[in-house]
Amino acid sequence: MSLLVKGLRRGIASTALLGLMAGFSPALAESTIVMGVEADFSRMDPAAARTWNTFKVIRHVYETFVEEDLTKGGDAVPEIVPALAESWDISEDRKTYTFHLRKGVKFHDGSDWNADAAKFNLDRMTNPDFEYFVPASPGLMGWVWGDLESYAVVDPYTFTITLTQPNAEFLRRLTAGGSGSPRMVSPTAVATFGNDGIEQNPIGTGPFKFVERVPGERVTIAKNPDYWNPERIPKTDRIILRAMPEVSTRELAIMSGEVDIIGTPSPDSIAMLEAQGLQLITGPSPMIYVMWFNTKDGIFKDVRVRKAACMAINREEMALYQRMGYAQPTWGVLNPGGPGYDPEFRDCDYDPEGAKALLAEAGYPDGLDTRMDWTFGGGADVNTKGDAEWLQRDWAKVGIRAKIEMFDNNAFWDMMSAGMRDGTGITSASWGESTFSWLDQVLPTTVMPPNCCNSGYYDNPEMDRLLSEARAAGSEEEMVVKLQEARDIVAEDMAFSSYFATNSVYVAVPGIKDFRLAPQHWFDLTSIVKE
Amino acid sequence: MQILQFTFMRMLSAIPVLIGVTIIVFLAVQLVPGDIALSILGRMASQEQLQALREQMGLDRSLVVQYGIWFTALLQGDIGTSLSQQLPVAGILGPKIVNSLILMAGSLVIVLVFGFLLAVLSGAKFRSMTDRVVVVITLVLASLPAFWLGIIMLYFFGFKWKLFPISGMYNVASPGGFWDLIHHLILPAAVTAAGSVAVVARVTRSRMIDVMAQPYILAGKARGLKRSQLVLRHAVRNTLPTFASIGGLQIGYLFGGVIFTEIIFNWPGIGLQVYDAILQRDIPMIQGCVLVVAVVFVIGNLLSDIAVYALDPKKG
Repeated sequence: MSLLVKGLRRGIASTALLGLMAGFSPALAESTIVMGVEADFSRMDPAAARTWNTFKVIRHVYETFVEEDLTKGGDAVPEIVPALAESWDISEDRKTYTFHLRKGVKFHDGSDWNADAAKFNLDRMTNPDFEYFVPASPGLMGWVWGDLESYAVVDPYTFTITLTQPNAEFLRRLTAGGSGSPRMVSPTAVATFGNDGIEQNPIGTGPFKFVERVPGERVTIAKNPDYWNPERIPKTDRIILRAMPEVSTRELAIMSGEVDIIGTPSPDSIAMLEAQGLQLITGPSPMIYVMWFNTKDGIFKDVRVRKAACMAINREEMALYQRMGYAQPTWGVLNPGGPGYDPEFRDCDYDPEGAKALLAEAGYPDGLDTRMDWTFGGGADVNTKGDAEWLQRDWAKVGIRAKIEMFDNNAFWDMMSAGMRDGTGITSASWGESTFSWLDQVLPTTVMPPNCCNSGYYDNPEMDRLLSEARAAGSEEEMVVKLQEARDIVAEDMAFSSYFATNSVYVAVPGIKDFRLAPQHWFDLTSIVKE
Repeated sequence: MQILQFTFMRMLSAIPVLIGVTIIVFLAVQLVPGDIALSILGRMASQEQLQALREQMGLDRSLVVQYGIWFTALLQGDIGTSLSQQLPVAGILGPKIVNSLILMAGSLVIVLVFGFLLAVLSGAKFRSMTDRVVVVITLVLASLPAFWLGIIMLYFFGFKWKLFPISGMYNVASPGGFWDLIHHLILPAAVTAAGSVAVVARVTRSRMIDVMAQPYILAGKARGLKRSQLVLRHAVRNTLPTFASIGGLQIGYLFGGVIFTEIIFNWPGIGLQVYDAILQRDIPMIQGCVLVVAVVFVIGNLLSDIAVYALDPKKG
């Protein structure tokens, strides 16, 4: 008996000692930052990866022809800068892009980046007959490859992509992600590990190399010291991104110092977190809370009711008190950080008395009863139920008595694909991008149920025409004119509105420096350091 | 020899239960509303793309055929491929099961030790002061929801007094081995154990009270045995089957309970995994997780039955 105890004790002591040694030696040698993110990651294959959270990781591992420069932060729309293409030419008819590829760039496995690698990746994303085709890719990436006509290798360092129609946002869309991302994986790695093997061996050209993934726990990335752009060689050796879906766990973890930085605390906790001596890092985000009105609903088919609902919301107060100032009021369907956004635009003014009068005119002098279908959201959404209750109260004041029904995010989007339910007047979710690709998914008649997400049955062919013209626009100015025209028609019909755009909010321990936020759903981790 | 036979018979009878479990797991996931193809391709996919994927995955075939395919693969150890990560479910779940078992084992130790001590303390002297205190403590423990208790414990022990780390199994930046694990284990194990400690203590206490009223205890008293001898050698011995049986039942409950604790404490076990899987609607992953929990439940019951049989002083 005592022998057993002794043996156990020795065993425990030696494991502990080993653990200590294993634990301390690398910690001394290299700098590590631990980040608590809002959800577990999706796939690591860029051709099939979902969610903005996942793109936060993979945009550092893989690259594409061009990149959005997020290293500077600030409010301005990030500049498009060269990445795997040194430069590019756009043809006279604006349909053909000729990329002059950067020479001497190597994937993390040592293989070369060149036009053949570009073709391999385009085949992988778009050509169903290709050996390494990713079947999920076309469904996920219509927003970037929807207008693709052809692509070709001109010479080892020249690659062309031809579109069926001009797309003013094509370069910016190339830099984006969240529903697939058009980024380049090493063809050698795909051939070696197979299509699914990329999940455990994500090999790109980016400033960070993938180290390991423990599903449900963390992803670790490490500095790529041989990165082609000396300005973007990471300042920190190792970054561990921990999935922490429970917001109170994230907050306690940053307070106890277990993680160095967290994303999206609850707005109600921010003052308390700052009181602990933690630093608050906020930046603009293209995320907007959009409202769909059900234009088929017996009550809400009357535009006067929809306008009254818009007029009943005190957006300034809501942003200030419900979101504690970490949101800005918005009107209409264009989002801050996206093309054509105008902070002065109003689709309605706050006017509860006017709203009551409109309702009376529409035949509801004693008010009306309806339902709000709401989602708990995912990723960077917090306390959406609180938002719903705030709106419910504002609406009740003018006589719109709404019942709230909360859905988990998956069930919510299934419902949106099926179309808003009978008896549901209003629904809402966060969306918005730095491109207007998301409007293609919300406004046109082609995405009415059973497609997603013109879920309130807004039947206006003008939207199809204007969005198509905005894509084909010859200049950004022309594109903006078309988008604003669409915005004004939507406001006139009051088919959609919005109430606020949230900021990106991060909380970090005092030692964290140079974590910069640009108006985007993701960020650049090459500059962040811990002192 | 007898016990081997008993074990064998008991294991045979577990087989139909396990098959039933696979059917329920398969059907339960079918009942969840929503479209698997849509959750893979996302909301931007067209109807044709969705239909093509459904055909490719066999989702358009009859339930019986789908179950047959799934069950055959299951027998070969293939639980499926995670939709959200495109990795084999079995490979992801393996380490998670170990992590959950560590948490469960930690909780079970707490449940057995404290449940038993409280039961003996209180049951040995019915209606004494100690007995009353234990009754109140267990009532409180049994009434606390794990989610609430977890957050409260986190706040005081983890944040306010900084006695224990707040999340995970190891210090992620520099993992520290066995003691680091124990340090991380104590809070979540205590939270998971709370309810079960109360159940075990209450049930074992009742049995203890019964036993203390038995004629052979009275006879022992009459023969002048010391009280401690009576309690520890005679009474406790006879409560062991009850204790083992109720303690064994807790294995399943604890494994179910760890789901909540793991989310609060970010413990990387099967509970956190099933939570992530539900959020991402990763059907094969959900099936795998539920199946594993069910199997652990069945095995836990099996073990406790065997222990009850072995501990029963009256057998054969």
